[in-house]
Amino acid sequence: MLSFFAELVGATDEDRRGFETHPVVIDAVAHGMPVQRYRALLLELYHVVWHFNPVCAAAASRIGDEQMAVRHFLYTHMHEESGHELWVLNDLEAIGVATETVRDHAPAVHTLALNGYNYWVADRRHPCSALGMLYALEVIASVYGGPFAAAIRESLLLEGDRGVSFLASHASLDTQHMSELRQIMNTVRSEHALAAVVESARVNFHHFTRIIEAI
Amino acid sequence: MISKPAVGVAGLLGRPYKTIRLEWSSDLRLLRVRTCVRPIQCYSLAAMGELQQMLGDISANPGLVRHFVMSSDVPNVFNFGGDLALFVLLVRAGDVESLRLYGKRCVDLVWWMENAANLDVHTTVLSQGDTLGGGLESVLPFHKVIFERRAQAGFPEVLFNLFPGMGAWDFTIRKAGFAVASEMILSGRLYSADELHYRRLVDIVVDDGQGETAIDNVVREVDPRHRGTLAALRAQRMAAPIRYESLLAIVDLWAESALGLTDRDLRLMERLARAQARKAGGADEGAVEELKLMELEAAWGDRRARFDRRNLSNDRRVRS
Repeated sequence: MLSFFAELVGATDEDRRGFETHPVVIDAVAHGMPVQRYRALLLELYHVVWHFNPVCAAAASRIGDEQMAVRHFLYTHMHEESGHELWVLNDLEAIGVATETVRDHAPAVHTLALNGYNYWVADRRHPCSALGMLYALEVIASVYGGPFAAAIRESLLLEGDRGVSFLASHASLDTQHMSELRQIMNTVRSEHALAAVVESARVNFHHFTRIIEAI
Repeated sequence: MISKPAVGVAGLLGRPYKTIRLEWSSDLRLLRVRTCVRPIQCYSLAAMGELQQMLGDISANPGLVRHFVMSSDVPNVFNFGGDLALFVLLVRAGDVESLRLYGKRCVDLVWWMENAANLDVHTTVLSQGDTLGGGLESVLPFHKVIFERRAQAGFPEVLFNLFPGMGAWDFTIRKAGFAVASEMILSGRLYSADELHYRRLVDIVVDDGQGETAIDNVVREVDPRHRGTLAALRAQRMAAPIRYESLLAIVDLWAESALGLTDRDLRLMERLARAQARKAGGADEGAVEELKLMELEAAWGDRRARFDRRNLSNDRRVRS
């Protein structure tokens, strides 16, 4: 029998590839993007990252002792991710977007849909669904974050991690996270939880693709 | 997931595939398979699932298909091989089980080709472009391997500290010998169609655009002698057998080696994936050019290669 993580990888592979092979993503990974579009992307990303921990908290609050390990994993993860929205703010500042502008920015409908779904599914479907969100966003960060940061750096002539610190650091940070995520997922035994995690990962890949497509 | 086997030609052709296109020639009972994993032509899980489904359908209908011919629908690319982003994901997650599973699916595909003669199916493959890593492994068990002159192939895995683990050693040793297998796998070099022909890995090399005619010639030549040819090919494989267990043991070794890749190795893999993305986006240069640059870097060191790259891009700017 396959492990939970292996099942998830197989069941969501086409969704991952749907993100990876979207023409806008291919172009961004190959050539970077103009500064206006990169600003627009970080503005949306700020709202995704801002809601990341509150979604995990909402999920953790509903996870009982039968999945205690998952709840404790979410606590640790929230601690590690705490304040990362400020990294996005710093990157935005580095490419000429003031903090007030970011705070006044109204997220796009796709960002609202992504965040709205993540709260709803943790509350109404299954709290373990937060693992699906974590999986999709960490795959995007750890697999595509590095090449994307490199492409942005080249196309915008940025120095070091200035302006790409969130993407570049998550590309390496989430390497460790991916391994921890696999281990915690493999402790989950419920079919119902697996279905919720798979659905959540698929929806997150889908909405994140739409966010990038629309900027 | 693999569904119940289809019945007859209508069943075989009637499945809604996304990554392969099938054509049927009833006079020769020839199944033509064109792969089209767009935009990056590689062995994704979905593509392998569809190929396995289609091969399962052929096995379930003995005697239906006499000739199996495969080529690519993607211009200038036969196959880039493994799904690099999936590898990066699985290595970063430390998921040896999924790496093994991926390898086993690849091995199951080459194993079907290895045994096609037992199903009375003669197999021919045409490469008209880049054939890298798993892409090259996948063509080696075909009975007849045709390359157009523009096609280039090789096993670049060693450049990012890995090795080709889905049949490269067994099939290359059988076709070309131990020395050639070692040279190709341990160098990571790319080879032209003529170089591969000289090493006996490719059976026929034709000028660009002549691949279809070459397929037609092979099929017309084999068809009247189909029974005898397949009996001979069965005997050939008995004389120089390849064992499924050995292929799987190598997959295990490959998966364990992949887990040992460092961040630097994975970044090289990502660089190759970026180059594939550039070509998929319409650029002239892609993975092959990036591999050549990696070869240069390995030979001359990073500084020299970066200097050359800068000069190359300056030259291009001047030219444009």
